[in-house]
Amino acid sequence: MSFLILGVFFSLSNNLQHIADDMSESMVVVFFLSPDVTPEDLRHIEAGIKASPYVVRVDYVGRQQAWERFQKNFPELQEILKNLGTNPFPPSFEATLQKDAFRSDEILGFIKEITNITGVEDAQFNRDWVQKMQSMSRLARAIGLFLGGILVLASFFIISNVIRLNVFARKAEIEILRLVGATNTFIRLPFLLEGLTLGILGSLLSLALLFVLIRLFPVYLGHSLGPLQEIVGFRALTPPQSLAMVAGGALMGVLGSMSSLARFLKI
Amino acid sequence: MIELYHISKQYEAGQWALLDVNLHVLKGDFWFITGPSGSGKSTLLKIIFREILPSRGQIVVDGINILRIPDHRIYQLRRTMGIVFQDFRLIFHKRVFENVAIGLHVLGVPLKEIRRRVFNALRLVSLHQKMWEYPSHLSYGEQQRVAIARAVVNEPQILLADEPTGNLDPELASEIMGVFKEINRQGTTVIICSHDKELIRHFGDKILFLFKGKIIGKEVLPSSKK
Repeated sequence: MSFLILGVFFSLSNNLQHIADDMSESMVVVFFLSPDVTPEDLRHIEAGIKASPYVVRVDYVGRQQAWERFQKNFPELQEILKNLGTNPFPPSFEATLQKDAFRSDEILGFIKEITNITGVEDAQFNRDWVQKMQSMSRLARAIGLFLGGILVLASFFIISNVIRLNVFARKAEIEILRLVGATNTFIRLPFLLEGLTLGILGSLLSLALLFVLIRLFPVYLGHSLGPLQEIVGFRALTPPQSLAMVAGGALMGVLGSMSSLARFLKI
Repeated sequence: MIELYHISKQYEAGQWALLDVNLHVLKGDFWFITGPSGSGKSTLLKIIFREILPSRGQIVVDGINILRIPDHRIYQLRRTMGIVFQDFRLIFHKRVFENVAIGLHVLGVPLKEIRRRVFNALRLVSLHQKMWEYPSHLSYGEQQRVAIARAVVNEPQILLADEPTGNLDPELASEIMGVFKEINRQGTTVIICSHDKELIRHFGDKILFLFKGKIIGKEVLPSSKK
């Protein structure tokens, strides 16, 4: 259960991180232009944008193109546009930035510089959104570590108690083993292996449950979340994360056994 | 083989379970330790296999002062000994075979060899036909013989037995003593605690008399000098 909680939060965090990564990969600054921008201004603005080392691609989006794109993306809002009678969309330049370029504060200077050029009216840059996604991802991971940590600690005590009960149940056998010359390692090894097995099986079981949860979540609950579905979604754990969970389970099992043996098996 | 020098044991203040016990056991000896209940017989055995430590004195087993052996090395001493307890200490959820084999598993003996030696040990106590029974299905005397088989299966240099014939009928007691004598003939040093005077008179070679923790007499019968 503890590893399942840990896994759920890691899975949520993975999803948020994935969204943030996707957004940062194709981070775009949109420079809205004045409707009566001259061709000379256009060339001047485009050259200014292309001069920046952060920009990998510049696309010009005309008013008609912007109108068509909106209609395609939001077909349900077509009526509103028709009622307006005019095309409200200004022409724009879309500057695709290099990956991770948005992290640099110099990018803000560049945007301000371009915005000051004649013909540029405004700029839209959704850096805050990416940063929010990233901090949400970190938060989900931190909550997972906190809750999971508490529950992992609980599972440590559960394993420790299971081993303690087994030590008591096999007290007579342990006594005989000592008297026939068994080493401490010989006596302890079965209990350590038992703890190890419990830990590994527990973490594998939680990974299996998590897998089922990831598969079933969109089927049963996903649609009811509406637009939030993409954010409050699960993404499978990475192989290193899964391995870390199993290794964590194994470690917890061995430590639980060792603590029990140290306290209750005086040999 | 076993040398006890001024061994004393005090469990509680003012009460001595053993007081200044000196004893030299030679290799191949067959000793009886006798005395009434509470005379310190079991305490003496427990000190020899170092289940408990004496309050005073020294013990040398095969040239080694066993009181100086660190706790994590005690297993080396125990591997040279076979011990038969008054209450047998069998594992009731394991079959006779597994009960006897436990000491060999500990030594890492291969399974084939374990099978051979367990069979021989059980044949020695005439229980080889009940190898796959559970101890709870055996009679009291048979359980006692399983405990003896477990003690001798790894061919120990020393065999210690605490009241091995307690509560057995005389016929069965004689039979078990015969087994101990046979093991002794094969070179194992045997020390048996018993208060059965008849048995001691019949089988005793060397006898140590204890009373309230003190030695009140030693007797070496002529037959043991052969």
